[in-house]
Amino acid sequence: MGRYLIPRLLESVVTFVLVTIVVFIGVRALPGDPARALAGEESTPEQLAAIRHSFGLDQPVPVQYLRYVGNALHGDLGRSSRTGLPVADSIGHALPVTLQLAVFAIAVAALIGVGAGVVAAVRRRGPAEWAANSVALLGLSVPSFWLGLMGVLVFAIAYPVLPASGYVSVFADPYESFRHLLMPAVVLGSGLAAVVMRQTRSAMIEALGTDYVRTAKAKGLSGGQVVIGHALRNSLIVVTTIVGLQLGGLISGAVVTEQIFVLPGFGKLIIDAVFTRDYPMIQGVVLVTATAYIGINLLVDLLYSVIDPRVRVGGTVL
Amino acid sequence: MTTLDVVTVDSGAETVVPGRRRALRRLLRNPLAVTGLVIVTLAVLAAVLANLVAPYPPDRTDFAAVLQPPTGAHWFGTDELGRDQLSRVLFGLRSSLLVAVLAIVVSLAVGVPLGLAAGFYRIADRVVSRFADTLLAFPFLVFAVGLAAILGPSLFTATTAIGVAGIPALIRVTRGETLRLRGLDFVSGAVADGASDPVLLWRHILPNAVNTLIVQATVAAPAAIIGEAVLSFLGLGIRPPAPSLGIMLSAAQPLFRQGPWLAVIPGICIVVVTLSLNLLGDGLRDALDPREAPR
Repeated sequence: MGRYLIPRLLESVVTFVLVTIVVFIGVRALPGDPARALAGEESTPEQLAAIRHSFGLDQPVPVQYLRYVGNALHGDLGRSSRTGLPVADSIGHALPVTLQLAVFAIAVAALIGVGAGVVAAVRRRGPAEWAANSVALLGLSVPSFWLGLMGVLVFAIAYPVLPASGYVSVFADPYESFRHLLMPAVVLGSGLAAVVMRQTRSAMIEALGTDYVRTAKAKGLSGGQVVIGHALRNSLIVVTTIVGLQLGGLISGAVVTEQIFVLPGFGKLIIDAVFTRDYPMIQGVVLVTATAYIGINLLVDLLYSVIDPRVRVGGTVL
Repeated sequence: MTTLDVVTVDSGAETVVPGRRRALRRLLRNPLAVTGLVIVTLAVLAAVLANLVAPYPPDRTDFAAVLQPPTGAHWFGTDELGRDQLSRVLFGLRSSLLVAVLAIVVSLAVGVPLGLAAGFYRIADRVVSRFADTLLAFPFLVFAVGLAAILGPSLFTATTAIGVAGIPALIRVTRGETLRLRGLDFVSGAVADGASDPVLLWRHILPNAVNTLIVQATVAAPAAIIGEAVLSFLGLGIRPPAPSLGIMLSAAQPLFRQGPWLAVIPGICIVVVTLSLNLLGDGLRDALDPREAPR
C-alpha cells in the first residue's frame, strides 16, 4: 500500500505545483494593467505606483509567485483588485452555492443514472433497456445550457411553477432553496446521469456474467438480492471513479448553469473576474478549483486501489 | 482527417485489424448508425453548400417581417431584425462544424504523438501523463475563459480551447492502445526482426490503433459542437454578427416571451446533429470492435 501511496501522493503534489505555476504565469499573460483597471483611466503615475506597491506588483515575478504560494498556504489569497475585498471571503461566499448545486446535481445523476443503468442491464433486449439507452443518448446529445433554456421556457414562463433564477441558501429556507436549485441541478446532472448510466450498465452486465454471481444464484438467493447485494456493489466502484473523472466537466457545467440561472457561485465569480482582469480573484478561484479537483481524484484513486488493486485507473473527460 | 487515411497498408496488421470492409458492412446493417450517417452527411452538405441552399443571405434584415413564427416564406421564422432563421441556422451549422473539425485535428495532432511516446517510452510516460493530468486539472470552461481573455473571443479561440480540452483524452486512449499493442506477438516479432522504434510506431502500432482513434474522434465531435455552442453562448467564441448556433441561442434569451421559436429551433438543430454523431459513433465502435457489440 505504502509503495503505491507515496508516489501517488508525490504525483499529486507535482501536479498541484505545476498548476499553480501555469495559473500564475497565465494570469500574467492577460492583457491590460490591473493597477490601471483599479485606479481608473484618470489616475496619475504616482497613484498607479502606489497601487502596484500595495499589491506587490512591483516585485520580480518569482518573488510574487513564492509570496503568493506562501500566503495561500496560510489561507490568504490576496485581495480582489476590483473590490478590494479579500479573495478568500468572496470564494467563501460563492463556494456554498456551487457546492450545493454540485451535490444536488450529483444526487440527481446518481439516482437517474444508476437506476436506469441497473434496469438496462437486468432487462436486456427489452423495451426497458431500449428506453434507458435512448434517454442516455439524449443526455449526451442535448447541450445542458439549451436544456436549461427550455426548462426556463416551460417551467418558468409557459407554466410558471418554478423560479427562473436566483439562489436561496438551504439553511435559510430549505423548501425555497430546493425550488430554486431543482432546475439548475437537473440541467447540470443530466449529462452526468447519461455517463453514469452507460458505465453502470456495462459494469452490471459484466458483473452479472461472473462466477461469483452465478454462485450466489446457485446458493438460492433471489434475483433482487443477487442484483443489489452482489452485482451492483461491485459496479459501484466503477461509478465512483466515473464521477471523480467527470468532476472537471461538472465544474465547467456549473459555470454555464450558474450563468443561465443567475446563481452567485464560482462560475459567475470566475467569468466576472476574467472580464474585469481581477488577477488575485482568477488565481484564487482556479487554485481552489484545481486543489479540490486534484484532491478528489487522489481520494478516488486511493479508494479504488484499496477496493480493487488489480485495476489500473484510466479514463476520459471533456 | 487525412492523417487517418495513410495507414491501411500494413501487412503485419491484418491479424489485429478486422477487415475494414467487413466493418463497413456491419455498420451498414445497423439501422441507427445508418440514420446517423445519413443525417450527418446531409448536415455537412447543407453547411458546406450553405450559400447555395439557404433561401436568404444570413444577415439580410427585413423590418416588414420582424419576429415572425415559422411560415411558408420563413420555415424557421425570423428574429427581431427580420433575419431568416433557416439561413442563419445553415450558416451557423457551418461555423459549428468548422470549429469541431479543426478542434479535433488539433487534439489528434498533439494527442496522438504524445500518446504514442507515453505508451512506448517509460520516461516519456512520466512527463506526458503529468502533462495530461495538468490539462485535466483545468476545467474546460475555466481554460476557455482565460484564453478568451488573453486572445479575445473568436473562432480561433474557441477552436484552440476545444482542441486543447480534447488532448488529454486522446493521449490516454493512444497511450493505452500503444501499451496493449506493444505486448502483442507481431510487435515482438518486428522487434526481433530488428525494426527501429520509428518503424515500430509508424508501421506496426499506429495502424492498429487507428480504429480506436476513429471511434475516439467520433466521440469527440459532438462534444466539440456543444463546446462551440457553449462558448459562443457565453460570448467567448465566435462573435456576432457572424452566425453561430450558440449566438442565436444567447440572442434568443431576452426574447423568450415574444419569440420562443428563436430559442427552440437552433437548439433542436444542435441536438439532431450531435445525436446523429453519437449514433454513428456507437455504430462505428460496434462495427470496428465486435466484442463490444450488444448481441
